[in-house]
Amino acid sequence: MNQFEYIRATEQAAAVKALVKDANTQFIAGGTNLIDLMKMGVAKPDKLVDITRLPLKDIKKTPTGIHIGALALNSQVAENSLILQHHPVLALALNSGATQQLRNMATVGGNMLQRTRCGYFFDVNMPCNKREPGSGCGAIGGINRMHAIFGASESCIAVHPSDMCVALAALDATVTVLGPKGERRMPFADFHRLPGDHPEHDNTLQKGELILGVDIPDARQTKNVAYLKVRDRTSYAFALVSVAAVLNIEGGIIKNAKLAMGGVAHKPWRLHAAEASLIGKQATIDNFKQAAQIAMQGAKTYKYNEFKVKLGHNTIVQALKTAASVA
Amino acid sequence: MEKELKKSVIGEPMDRVDGRLKVTGAATYSAEFNIPNLTYAVLVSGTIASGTITAIDTRAAERAPGVLTIITHLNAPQLAGYQASAIAANGKPNYRVFGGDKIFFNGQPVAMVVADTFERATYAASLVKATYQKDEHKTSLEDNLANAISPSRGKDYQRGAIDAYKTAPVQVEQTYMLPTEVHSPMELHNTTAMWDGDKVTVYTKSQGVKATQQSIMNTFKLTDDKVQVNSRFVGGAFGSALRTWPHEIATVMAAKKVGRPVKLLLTREQQFTMVGYRPKTIQKIGLGATADGQLVGITHESYSQSSVFEEFTEGSNNVSRFLYASPNVTTRYKIIPLNVGAPAPMRGPGEATGAYAIESALDELSYKLNIDPIALRLKNYAENDPERNLPYSSKYLKECYSIGAEKIGWSNRSQTPGAVKEGDWLVGYGIGCGVFGAHRGRATAKIRINADGNVNIQCATADIGPGTATSMVLIASDALGMPTDKITFELGNSAFPQAGQQGGSSTVSSVGSAVHDASLALKKKLMELSGKTESDLSPGNYTDIIKQQNLPYLEITQGSQGGDEGSKYSMYSFSAHFCKVHVHSVTGQVKVVKAVAVVDAGTIINHKTAGSQMIGGVVGGIGMALTEEALFDDRYGRYINGNFADYHVPVHADVPDIEAVFIDKPDPVLNPMGTKGIGEISIIGFAPAIANAVYNATGKRVREMPITPDKLI
Amino acid sequence: MASKKPDNATVSDELLNGTRRDFLKQSSVLTAITLAPTGLVKAAESGLDEKIAAVFEKIPVSLTVNGVKHDVSVEPRVTLLDLLREQLHLTGTKKGCDRGQCGACTVHVDGKRVNSCLSLAVMHDGHHITTIEGLANGDELHPLQEAFIKHDGFQCGYCTPGQIMSGVACIREGHANTESNIREYMSGNICRCGAYPNIVKAIYEVSKGGQKV
Repeated sequence: MNQFEYIRATEQAAAVKALVKDANTQFIAGGTNLIDLMKMGVAKPDKLVDITRLPLKDIKKTPTGIHIGALALNSQVAENSLILQHHPVLALALNSGATQQLRNMATVGGNMLQRTRCGYFFDVNMPCNKREPGSGCGAIGGINRMHAIFGASESCIAVHPSDMCVALAALDATVTVLGPKGERRMPFADFHRLPGDHPEHDNTLQKGELILGVDIPDARQTKNVAYLKVRDRTSYAFALVSVAAVLNIEGGIIKNAKLAMGGVAHKPWRLHAAEASLIGKQATIDNFKQAAQIAMQGAKTYKYNEFKVKLGHNTIVQALKTAASVA
Repeated sequence: MEKELKKSVIGEPMDRVDGRLKVTGAATYSAEFNIPNLTYAVLVSGTIASGTITAIDTRAAERAPGVLTIITHLNAPQLAGYQASAIAANGKPNYRVFGGDKIFFNGQPVAMVVADTFERATYAASLVKATYQKDEHKTSLEDNLANAISPSRGKDYQRGAIDAYKTAPVQVEQTYMLPTEVHSPMELHNTTAMWDGDKVTVYTKSQGVKATQQSIMNTFKLTDDKVQVNSRFVGGAFGSALRTWPHEIATVMAAKKVGRPVKLLLTREQQFTMVGYRPKTIQKIGLGATADGQLVGITHESYSQSSVFEEFTEGSNNVSRFLYASPNVTTRYKIIPLNVGAPAPMRGPGEATGAYAIESALDELSYKLNIDPIALRLKNYAENDPERNLPYSSKYLKECYSIGAEKIGWSNRSQTPGAVKEGDWLVGYGIGCGVFGAHRGRATAKIRINADGNVNIQCATADIGPGTATSMVLIASDALGMPTDKITFELGNSAFPQAGQQGGSSTVSSVGSAVHDASLALKKKLMELSGKTESDLSPGNYTDIIKQQNLPYLEITQGSQGGDEGSKYSMYSFSAHFCKVHVHSVTGQVKVVKAVAVVDAGTIINHKTAGSQMIGGVVGGIGMALTEEALFDDRYGRYINGNFADYHVPVHADVPDIEAVFIDKPDPVLNPMGTKGIGEISIIGFAPAIANAVYNATGKRVREMPITPDKLI
Repeated sequence: MASKKPDNATVSDELLNGTRRDFLKQSSVLTAITLAPTGLVKAAESGLDEKIAAVFEKIPVSLTVNGVKHDVSVEPRVTLLDLLREQLHLTGTKKGCDRGQCGACTVHVDGKRVNSCLSLAVMHDGHHITTIEGLANGDELHPLQEAFIKHDGFQCGYCTPGQIMSGVACIREGHANTESNIREYMSGNICRCGAYPNIVKAIYEVSKGGQKV
């Protein structure tokens, strides 16, 4: 790891200022991803601004929903009574990611900013456009079993590794950030981006911007939810595919449906068309299969990840079955 | 009193003698000694798979703070022992660390940086830039089968007619692939070396300090009094510390160069390239049987990867020669030299690989014949060793079958795949058997009884986890008739009497025999001194005799080895592994919900630690079957998942309660305790039990491990 | 590593040429000048005295480990794990992967279990750390340590401190109420020897026993 300067921020504006001032400065909070990247030589910041002492840890009720501070720990969110009561799918997603030790360190903001687990990205001796723009994509012609089937580009087929973000995408959260020019808000869906020609950018944050928190709008969909993650071992593994399903079922009819997938794209992959296909329909296996089929339309596979189309389909069906408690 | 003491303690579930040290963090592993003036080494891994180093730019690294030295092939001290063996028997250059500019495999060390702190050494290592002339490399086993060669130590075997299975009315002909698996002990391989004049002391992760000492003596041309090797606590190894690796030599070399103690820890990523692995192996099995299930012929061919700079072979075909009574057996073994690091024996080496293939094929045959897999095994049960035409010294495999079947609930199994369901989960049952040679090597123990009645035993054996010292204390306690808390056993020090490496499930048999014999020799000496007969002598007399003789202590060094039993008997441990799996009908996830391992391993010295060892082997089998695969990107010849996040060893959530059952009947031949060994047999045969259970659950036969969800949807 | 060209003309040529330490950037030098006595400045400018430069790179940290306060100076890149093992010689906390992928380095920070390998020591100023060495009460083992011995929850023993620290936290968190919960919430601690079933038994027994952990 290269030597770097370390400063501790005690207020938000100062943190933003510190980041704007020097070219190669990064925030650090939980460090679970950044320290790893620094050890691997993927990230080489000259300066780290420690933001863990900023007052951004609240999880609270607001007039429109629930606010989660960017520095709330993943484990705190997963076990928070408001979250369990109002948005259990978020707790399910969080608890299916990483381990309790890591969740005790990782923050909500850091989870949003975690970088892909693509092996070519992590190995500085392999080509990767995300790590080193212009060097090529090792994964496209390589071992791409874990890689994207939606929204990828000629320059990058990496996937976003978060579980939490899949749930937040399904829950229509919004993100608040503070930048040099003040605060701005954006839908969660606009926070992460597709790789396009610039896979080096995972998200739409601008230089110096600090995530303050996310807001989840009120929803009465707490019973019929599921988060299903299929992976290569039972725990402590990244998703082959994962599905967050939030249903509002009244009298056997699906009034509202929110679905998002993980492990399939450069960002949490919201399934709007599949959701639309479910609304007004009965919660039956056949309808779930139809929705899953719609969801997987347009998937583009590579040499080793063809299975994700069927696995994605099946995982959607199973998640919907579980959410709807349909045997 | 005397009666109590005569009661055997063998088999007692005794807590580990070093348990307290391990649970308090006080057990000191080899990288954990607080050594004054210590420096830190980091190895720079090469980044191509084959070629020549054309230049190494170390200028930036040399200027980095705290750097003491950087060793490359350009400035490495010449080692007498290395020069002598620079050219292999086949005339090709041997791989010697910093011995030349040739690159044989990706990840080969090209430089070592020594600095005053770990952080500074790590950073400086990142500044070393090697440039290469790349040659074409080969890392794919599948793509290079045409380059397969017969190893110089031929391993082919023929009994009866060649490929006789082809003449049988019912045949199975299938290919099974077991990917590269990496030992992955939790403790990173590490070495600390310090010179004092012409004497070097080394703390290292080793499965045998005497062997490590010998390697260092050979390489540096030193006598044994100049090389001290310590490895008391070893944080797992599973075979990866059975040889002295280049990084160990490099550390000793560096310590001499900087004139200060040097500590090297490999990174987890470097464990994938520098300290061996279970080689990827493609196996073709042909089985032929009569309609009622009598085996007509077995053909077992193995194609296993090896490195370009040395031949590595293992006994993956061996199992097929004698586990079942087939009149005709053909085995062929080939290796494919690739630009990969050298493989190393990994728990159940060869046999675990071979048992996976033969036990899977046998399962396939059972469905073809529509015969229960246990019945099929009984039908072809080998009462005597069909390979060597010798009786087994002991074999209770039939008992293993019946106990295991009972405990797993075999009667709930359906011979029709996919017939049993629990909710969304398909239920399957599987069996897989294992066998591993029971060995006894020469070992020597030094036993001392002090005037205060405490007994201390020393032997240069190792404990990589099975609880060696605990077993040895039990053996001595039994032989001496003394309570265990009066006896201590020390190991992991090259100054102690000779023992082989801890490998091949032979420690209890070899070292235990030495401890047993030394204990008896001590008793004999006490009888001589006191004039007492065996029946007169009781443990209560021991200290009296020493005091009467006015001795501070009495000490005996006793060597022990087997005789010609091996020429009269075939000696093996046997296992029957059973499991029940759930396979999700929609997502393809597999869960082992119950596992039973029944073992005929002779006498069990300590049921507690032996049980743990069995359970551990089963967990290894779960990894083999369901999660583990080290993957190369052959374009670069580099691992794409060479780390602990992406190379999946089983975690807590993958592992159900596991029942280990011991037949616990003494082997009458191998050694005085009647033990046969369990380290390997615990894993051999478990992976096919899972693969067979998955088939029973789903009707899908996965012939490429690991069985991940994508292969079952 | 490309060296950036400082725009301040007072910076020595050696810095510009990259012949001196790359990381000692202009800003650091200027800070140093304002703080340091003249002799030190000269030494730093001459680029010869690594020891002085090293002092400037280190950051004072005060943290309590197992009830003992430690005032140390560390480079910011030193992890909590390496501080414990290499500087405080508390080697009970293990290094198994150094990347948060195995759990051998698990310690408690202000009561929460974390991976000390992914945590910078400087970020723990004022924090209370408990390691395996601080779990027992003198000679009296913690109940979970006793249970690990009783159930043989280890073989090689290398993952054991991490398993125990994680297990204690697991019980305190309330995640040890069923064996399947324990399996899930202990999955961050890899045991290659495969002692998992025994570890689960030990944790479950202590959890059920209800004693204060």
